[in-house]
Amino acid sequence: MILDTLDLDDAEFARRTGWEIKPEGACRDDRCVPLPAMPDVAVGHVDVRVFAERLGMPLLHDEAHGLWSLGPEAGGRMLASAALPDIELPDLDGNLFALRVLRGQKVLLLAWASW
Amino acid sequence: MWQTLRAELHPHGLEVVTVALDTGGAEAARRWIDAAHPEHPALIDQAHQLDALLGIVNVPSGVWIDERGMIVRPPEPAFPQRPAFQNVDPDNPALIERYRDNPRGLEVVREVLKLRIEPEAYVAALRDWVANGAASRYALAPDEVVRRSRPRPPEVAEAAASFELGQHVYRLGDQAGAVGWFRRAHRLQPDNWTYKRQAWSFADPRQGPTELYEGDWLSDVRASGAENYYPPLDL
Repeated sequence: MILDTLDLDDAEFARRTGWEIKPEGACRDDRCVPLPAMPDVAVGHVDVRVFAERLGMPLLHDEAHGLWSLGPEAGGRMLASAALPDIELPDLDGNLFALRVLRGQKVLLLAWASW
Repeated sequence: MWQTLRAELHPHGLEVVTVALDTGGAEAARRWIDAAHPEHPALIDQAHQLDALLGIVNVPSGVWIDERGMIVRPPEPAFPQRPAFQNVDPDNPALIERYRDNPRGLEVVREVLKLRIEPEAYVAALRDWVANGAASRYALAPDEVVRRSRPRPPEVAEAAASFELGQHVYRLGDQAGAVGWFRRAHRLQPDNWTYKRQAWSFADPRQGPTELYEGDWLSDVRASGAENYYPPLDL
C-alpha cells in the first residue's frame, strides 16, 4: 500500500488497510491487536509506523517522492485462509469487475502477462 | 488460449477470468486481449495486487475458486495446451539459421524447451473438478489450500513492499528511481519471476542482460535450473 503520510485518521486508516481502530486495538474480522499509545499523532489518528511495527509489516520510505510503502504482514502463509480475498479489478475499458459477482459458479482465475 | 476450454466447460458451470499482471496497465495488455476476443472477464492488475494477495510468482498461474468463493487450489502453473514454442526441434537447421545472427536468442529458445509444462494433467484435473465439484480429488480442503500457499517470511513481505514502491515510482515517470526498488525486491525474493520479468522487460523487452539489473531471463533460469522454473504440479 502506497502512502504519502504516516498520520491517518481512523476512518481513512480503516478504508486503506481494512483494520478498524477500536478500544481494544486494531481489529479485522475476529482478530484484534492491541496498539500502544501513539504520542506523535492526534486523538482519532493512527501512526502507521506503530501499526506496522506491531503487525510485523515492512514500511519502506522513498525519500525522493515523499512516499511510503506498507507491505503485507510477515509470517505464516500467503493465504491466511482459503476464502478468496475481495478482488476488484478493471477491464480494458476501466470498468471495475468484482470477482464476488461470480459466486454460484466455479471460477478458474488465470494470471498472465504481456511481458 | 483458454477460449476453447472455456467454451467446453462454461455450460457446465465454470467461468474463466484472466488477469494481466502488467505495470503498463491496459495499454500493455490490450493487443493480446483484443486478439483473443474473450467472452470471459479479462481484467488488468496494473499494481500486481494478485502477487501479494495470492502468492503468484510466475505466469501463467491458475487458481480454482468454488461456488462459495473458497479457493480450492492455490496458484500453480496453468497451461491449457502445450505451447507451440515447445514443438520445436532445438537442432532443426532452419531454427539455427533463423538465429544465425542472434546466438543468445537461440540459447533462450533451447532453454525454453527444457521448461516443465504439464497441460494434459492440468486440464484433466480441471475437467474432473468441473464435473465432480467438492467430490473431485483435485479440490483441496481449506487447510490444505493454506498449507500449499507459499510462505511469507519477513524478506518476502519486504519484497512485496519494495516491488510496489518500484511500480509506483515507475508509473510516476521516474524510471531510474524505480530500478533500486525493483533490484531490492529481486534480491529479497529471488524466486519471484513476476517481479524480475516485469522489471527486466522495462529495460529490455527480451529480458536480456542490461547494466540496470544483476540478472536476466536466460542467466537466472540457468542458475536455478530450467526444470524449476515451473514447479511440478502436485495433483
